[in-house]
Amino acid sequence: MKKIPIVSGAKPDTGHIEEYSANFVQFLLRAEAECGPLAEYNLAGQETILLSGVEAQEFFFRGSDENLSRAAAYQAMVPVFGPGVIFDAPPDKMKSQLKIQVDALRYQNMKNYAPVIAQEVEDWIADWGDEGELDFMDEFLDLTIHTATHCLLGKDFRDKMTAEFKTLYRDLEAGLQAIAFVDPYMQQPIFEQRDRARERLEEIITAMIDERRNSDIEYNDALATFMTGTYADGSCLTSTEVTGLVIATIFAGHHTSSGTSTWMLTELARHPKEAAGIVEELNAIYQQDETLSHNALREMPKMESFLNEVLRVHPPLVVLMRRVINDIEFDGHAIPAGKTVAISIFGSHRNSEYFPDPEKFDPSRTEPETMFAYIPFGGGRHKCGGNAFALLQQKAIFSALLRRYSFEIVDHSDSYVDDLSGMVLRPQSPCRLRYKRRVS
Amino acid sequence: MKIRVDLDLCQGHSVCIEEAPEVFSVEDQADDYPKVKVLNFHPSAELQGQVRLAARYCPNKVITVIEDNE
Repeated sequence: MKKIPIVSGAKPDTGHIEEYSANFVQFLLRAEAECGPLAEYNLAGQETILLSGVEAQEFFFRGSDENLSRAAAYQAMVPVFGPGVIFDAPPDKMKSQLKIQVDALRYQNMKNYAPVIAQEVEDWIADWGDEGELDFMDEFLDLTIHTATHCLLGKDFRDKMTAEFKTLYRDLEAGLQAIAFVDPYMQQPIFEQRDRARERLEEIITAMIDERRNSDIEYNDALATFMTGTYADGSCLTSTEVTGLVIATIFAGHHTSSGTSTWMLTELARHPKEAAGIVEELNAIYQQDETLSHNALREMPKMESFLNEVLRVHPPLVVLMRRVINDIEFDGHAIPAGKTVAISIFGSHRNSEYFPDPEKFDPSRTEPETMFAYIPFGGGRHKCGGNAFALLQQKAIFSALLRRYSFEIVDHSDSYVDDLSGMVLRPQSPCRLRYKRRVS
Repeated sequence: MKIRVDLDLCQGHSVCIEEAPEVFSVEDQADDYPKVKVLNFHPSAELQGQVRLAARYCPNKVITVIEDNE
């Protein structure tokens, strides 16, 4: 058996956690550059092996649930989603919950979401006037909580939603930092804030579930799907579990999508020529289809290649992890049970074998043949179940937005950088852009 | 035309049954995502356009179409 090289710079007790917490993106790039396809590091006791390159990533994605556990690697999510939900549920219940969650996002339900998202954008820009300047990171955090709640929890909830709900979500998300993956229960202000937010969200959502259980109105949104979904034995989810699924679904899509939208708009402002091409494409589509239908959104080659490149350069999730349950072997290296294996999406998207001149933003790239190089939504059987919704949402937002306004950067182009304080990448706030109404 | 599906990747998003209901169905599984079932692995000429769209719009790239000349 070959020995797995260890990344340099480990401290006696804490290993690499300090460097990792300060800048995990750079740390992972350094680990691969220094050690190659397998690189071992230590996060305050959790020995982790970074698997790099397409073969190693395919091995990661094709690993069986029996050997590679997501639940064990993602215990940091348990206090966010709640007890008995997803990574805290027994394996068969977890599978059922994920199935019920994806059911809400299947095509037949998603068709209703495009006009809802377009309407949210119209309401958002209604008082913009002819020109102005905004911090779009802040704006998109608001917009995507509106679209997510409207699509998933229905219009009545969206209409009644208060500023409190948004604050609670931000508090919940702020608790997801590298340190949470070491121990999500240690005494820390960000974790106390997270737990208070989770408790209050449960009150709000449970009240809504109770209201619906006592009402004759028929709903056809995600909450209705969660409330009627059943386990293999025919039993329904408890209110805590339904609440957990609601929180998990919004959580999965909020920070990620708002970051992607903000990067999308920033890159459009940085690349006016490509932006003009996308507007041309939109005008041609809208001539035939005045209202934004799901069908109209399906084919937008220019918008799609631009969005794909945004997700390549700025993948919202940097790192994916699994806990090794049974000893495994890769390329002559033994990986014993108890260790964690990880892959870096950010690193994979900078693999020059598949993406020549990887730092260059180039929407004309073609997607690699292999499914394991370009992986903004992960891959294999645990690929993000919200991927279709996420792409639909971006296309709906920018179809509505770009036809009305054009955008320019305000600060120096190089000053728009990733915020590395959380585990989900997004532009650092303030992300100032200037908008101008288009003259038609 | 031949059709190949990778069931490991299927999460039951059900785009295919919207595009080509004569060729695909999606079936519930006990404790896993619903999975696509191919009803007709050699679709007739008039259905092939719909099958190509089903493959193209599948969010998880579950469906591969092998054309006769390939």
